[in-house]
Amino acid sequence: MDARWLEPPEPMERVLSALDRRARRQRVRLLLHREPYPLYSILPQMGLTHTVRPLPDGCYEILIYDPSDSAT
Amino acid sequence: MTRPGLSYEQAPPFGLPLRFFLTAPLILLLAALLAIHWSPAWTASRWSAEALALTHLITLGFLGQVMMGALLQILPVVLGSPLPWPRLTARAGHLGLTLGTLLLVAGLAWAHPTLLLSGMAILAAGWAPFLFAAAVSLAKAHPASPGTLHTVRLAWLALLVTLLAGFALAGELAGLWSTGEQAGMTGLHAAWGLLGWVLLLVMGADYQVVPMLQITPAYPAAASAWLAPTLLTGLVLLSIAVLTPLPSQPLLDLLAWLPAMAAMALFAGLTLDLLRRRRRKVRDATLSFWHLGMTSLLALTCLPVLATALPAAARPPLETLAGLLFLLGFASSVAMGMLYKIVPFLAWFHLQTQTGARAGTIPNMKEFVPEARVRRQYRLHLAAVLLLPAPWLPPAYAVTGLAALAGSAWLLWRSLLGCDRLFRRYGGQLG
Repeated sequence: MDARWLEPPEPMERVLSALDRRARRQRVRLLLHREPYPLYSILPQMGLTHTVRPLPDGCYEILIYDPSDSAT
Repeated sequence: MTRPGLSYEQAPPFGLPLRFFLTAPLILLLAALLAIHWSPAWTASRWSAEALALTHLITLGFLGQVMMGALLQILPVVLGSPLPWPRLTARAGHLGLTLGTLLLVAGLAWAHPTLLLSGMAILAAGWAPFLFAAAVSLAKAHPASPGTLHTVRLAWLALLVTLLAGFALAGELAGLWSTGEQAGMTGLHAAWGLLGWVLLLVMGADYQVVPMLQITPAYPAAASAWLAPTLLTGLVLLSIAVLTPLPSQPLLDLLAWLPAMAAMALFAGLTLDLLRRRRRKVRDATLSFWHLGMTSLLALTCLPVLATALPAAARPPLETLAGLLFLLGFASSVAMGMLYKIVPFLAWFHLQTQTGARAGTIPNMKEFVPEARVRRQYRLHLAAVLLLPAPWLPPAYAVTGLAALAGSAWLLWRSLLGCDRLFRRYGGQLG
């Protein structure tokens, strides 16, 4: 999901919608122009976790997944 | 470039900042109605009792409420350091600020020592726990956002100086003591309050809010590191010029105002440039508030040049113009723009985290505060800013401007109240 340069909280609204619709074991990859700190505090409530990777253009790639999926 | 980190898990309950944000527009409305009632007395001089009372309604009553509420949010979320005892601090601060402001303003308007003293005592009771809690929080804050952190620390210091000078002056008016330097102290109280506390806190907040909510590049790190100390240097030099009777006072005055004006102009110019370079090209109504605020701040820095070109007798209206440009044109515009961004965002965010709602089942930001209402309020606020700072126009213009200000304050309150109601309708808890 490319949510770069969208106004807050639109990126979070979109990613939460994508997380609601995702299939089992499916990961969501989010591209954003800044780190989504508010989202980080919501993910654990949904039983999800994330990794973040800064990109050369100053943006971020955030991978969101269920930790129990990677354990199995 | 500054790279901020936000700690939303430390955010205070929505109800704590909201009580300040909902009270602020009502006090602005009261200020507009009283100014209509007192017209044209308050326009005669910025030293008139009515002008002093109105100034404090706007600075303490409107801006003070917004800024105290904003700090409750900025300290934990932006600086990662929650206020200790947030509920007690917020409740005491809100009650003290609201009741204390009304009593102080009544005391100033009617030169009534008992009202002045009660206002002072209640304001002190409200500000003291807040100042102490903010000091603890600022001492513990980590430098994830260094520009914001040191700017907010300097704003805290400026607030302390402003309040101490204010209490000294109020005590003098109430007949408790004599400072022997009433005019100079009044100038310092105003300078530290407006250029110190208000401007520094706006700067610190804007370093975070403008890039995040208006989707602009970050402020240059050098600017966020140096603007606040430059402004503070100006204020310290100004204090020395006022408090020590040196023969070189005019030179010191000049040396004090130069860095202060340069910092103001640079901050306003930089912000306007960042807004011009925003990545999101869809124009929303809140952007107009920032444009108006920063344009007013730039216009303000041109006034000293204009003053030197005018005869001394023509300068007093310029002082009133400067005050109105700063309070309504700059500070109130930016405060309103921030409220329209922050309150719906907090409502949405707290609702989302409290209810764990699925996407599309709770209102989005634009539904919390409809864009058309923000635009209507902006037009009224703009009319007030354009009509009020023109004391040389016939009084009817000022009254029209004040009516616009009253309408603007009412619409702002309705918008924020609507946000609160929608939040609770969807099951949000204020905390």
